[in-house]
Amino acid sequence: MQTVIKTESLSKTYTNTAVPVHALKDVNLEFKQGEFTAIVGPSGSGKTTFLNVIGGLDKPTEGKVVIDDVDIATMKESQLFDFRLRHIGFVFQAYNLIPVLTAVENVSFIMLLQKKPKKEMEQRAREMLDQVGLSEKLHVRPSQLSGGQQQRVAVARALASKPDFVLADEPTANLDTESAFNLLDIMARLNKEENITLIFSTHDQRVIDRAKRVITLVDGAVDKDEHFKRN
Amino acid sequence: MFFILAWRNIWRNKRRTLITVSSVLFAYVLATALLSFAEGFQRQLKETMIRQETGYLQIQDAYYFDEPSLDHTLEYGDNVKQAVAEFDEEIDYVVPRIQGFSLAAKEMSTRPAMVTGILPGQENKIRNLSGNMVRGEMFSEDDDFAVIAKGLADLLKLDIGDTLILIGQGYQAVTATGMFEVGGIIEFQLPEQNNTAVFLPLKEAQWYFAADNRLTNLIIMPADPDQINRLASELQSRLDDEWYTAKTWKELMPDMVGLMQMQNTVYTGIAWIFYIIVGFGIFGTILTMLYERMQEFGILLSIGMKRIQLGIIGLIETILIGLLGTTAGVLTALPIVYIFQQFPIKFTGEMAEYILRFGMEPVFPFVIDKHIFINQAYTVFGITLLIGLYTMRKMYSIQILEAAKN
Ligand SMILES: Nc1ncnc2c1ncn2[C@@H]1O[C@H](COP(=O)(O)OP(=O)(O)OP(=O)(O)O)[C@@H](O)[C@H]1O
Ligand SMILES: [Mg+2]
Repeated sequence: MQTVIKTESLSKTYTNTAVPVHALKDVNLEFKQGEFTAIVGPSGSGKTTFLNVIGGLDKPTEGKVVIDDVDIATMKESQLFDFRLRHIGFVFQAYNLIPVLTAVENVSFIMLLQKKPKKEMEQRAREMLDQVGLSEKLHVRPSQLSGGQQQRVAVARALASKPDFVLADEPTANLDTESAFNLLDIMARLNKEENITLIFSTHDQRVIDRAKRVITLVDGAVDKDEHFKRN
Repeated sequence: MFFILAWRNIWRNKRRTLITVSSVLFAYVLATALLSFAEGFQRQLKETMIRQETGYLQIQDAYYFDEPSLDHTLEYGDNVKQAVAEFDEEIDYVVPRIQGFSLAAKEMSTRPAMVTGILPGQENKIRNLSGNMVRGEMFSEDDDFAVIAKGLADLLKLDIGDTLILIGQGYQAVTATGMFEVGGIIEFQLPEQNNTAVFLPLKEAQWYFAADNRLTNLIIMPADPDQINRLASELQSRLDDEWYTAKTWKELMPDMVGLMQMQNTVYTGIAWIFYIIVGFGIFGTILTMLYERMQEFGILLSIGMKRIQLGIIGLIETILIGLLGTTAGVLTALPIVYIFQQFPIKFTGEMAEYILRFGMEPVFPFVIDKHIFINQAYTVFGITLLIGLYTMRKMYSIQILEAAKN
């Protein structure tokens, strides 16, 4: 299967602190098309840092992040904006959505920035909201949605533009158990149906079981990299 | 799309936006009302001064302005008359005057007097002298009696039918003497004028000053006062500039022009103070907005929105607030200024008396001048644009991760 992301001796050291913090230490990982991976580890183990670096939001101190044969660590900021827009879908822990836009407008937003034709955009946005079970809430603003529903809109938005892969940093952190399961089920289903590579971080044992691959970070280094068979 | 986003964003906090918009509105209305009043006041002042003193335009002897004496009178002959006739279309009417200081006497008492020879018909058009007669009557062009100011009449104890003796210096140092019957008494508000003014029919005055056919000033009242600069220079080009000069009221009353400019500076300064206060108001709103929405901006930039796109939204938001405020300001200021134009501010009591002394009506209508409205709108727009550009710059330099983390 095709490799989507490859990191080579990736390191990140924060020096703006009293003692330098080695947030990532020599991380060598490869993610293949269609994988559904959980990054786990104790607090401060480097999960967020890892996702930020492979998402082009932060620069590694050393090493490479190769996506589509390009090392994005060498890209300029302006190139990274475009790169993120075209290749990566993001889901954050909270406040993902633009408060003044309705659900369907939020989902269309990235496609709008990509200048997709209006018709295609609307159709895709409706389809995705339908997929995450929100076809009833198309024209509702985020403030009138529950936390779980908001995260589902964010997932729909991340996937709508058909990115190469989707990064989600603790997408369930603010959700109750039921909503968390529900969100992960949706993510697992979309991963399968749309064959999109999904990487999410969590330290929530409840949702780790949904992942087909679980990478454990400890003190910035890869401790375990396990693959599971799931249906 | 950016516009829709910006528009919805400004209504996220309705109350705050309304407060900001109304502060723009108030500043606009206050500044416009103030300047409309100032403009009305100045126009009245200018009009009064022009009517009382110089007229819009004068033809004088080339040396008269620097050395106003009868030796520098101009010959009101064919040259001048022809030149003036050429601009018949553009000239409403002309007012010839000959003027000089003399001593006015009755028996043993004497007073300084400003003797002015006039054509009553013409003079009335510019300053309605006949309307201020308190006793007797105004002479006509061919009469030979004098009309004197009430203050002077009181000082010299002169009454209708008495004889006024004038002694002075005429053209080319000739001694001027004359005896005139007092036929009318006229009252002026300005004490200086009321205590010195003596009017004679133009021909009598020319005879008294031994200055046949000569004038100290030929006042020209144009059909269109906006054209006086051009008219002055065109008149000048038809006249021999060794002898004649055409001067506008601005050249004749430089102090007055200076005063008006100073007033303008003061009023504009006050308007700017309003704007600076409002500017800081908008600035505060925008800064609060920026910090409240940092996380949102961080996320927008993360998912692929460009800095410039985010900045443009910020700029549009600021400009929208400015535009809303200005539009509301224009819609509020127009009726207010209109009302004060229709029902002018009237001064009463001492203030009114004081103003009356200067020959001015103590009634000040506002002026609806589109330039005032437009300039103020530009100013507000300029200020919001500046603040908008600052907002844009701020948004442009957001640290994505810092902002998203918040
Ligand atoms: N901007 C920063 N400056 C300095 N140190 C940082 C910065 N961001 C993260 N770190 C440090 O890097 C290490 C890894 O942080 P990171 O946020 O990646 O951990 P995490 O696994 O996401 O933790 P959590 O589960 O709590 O979210 C931590 O020790 C943290 O203190
Ligand atoms: Mg984290």
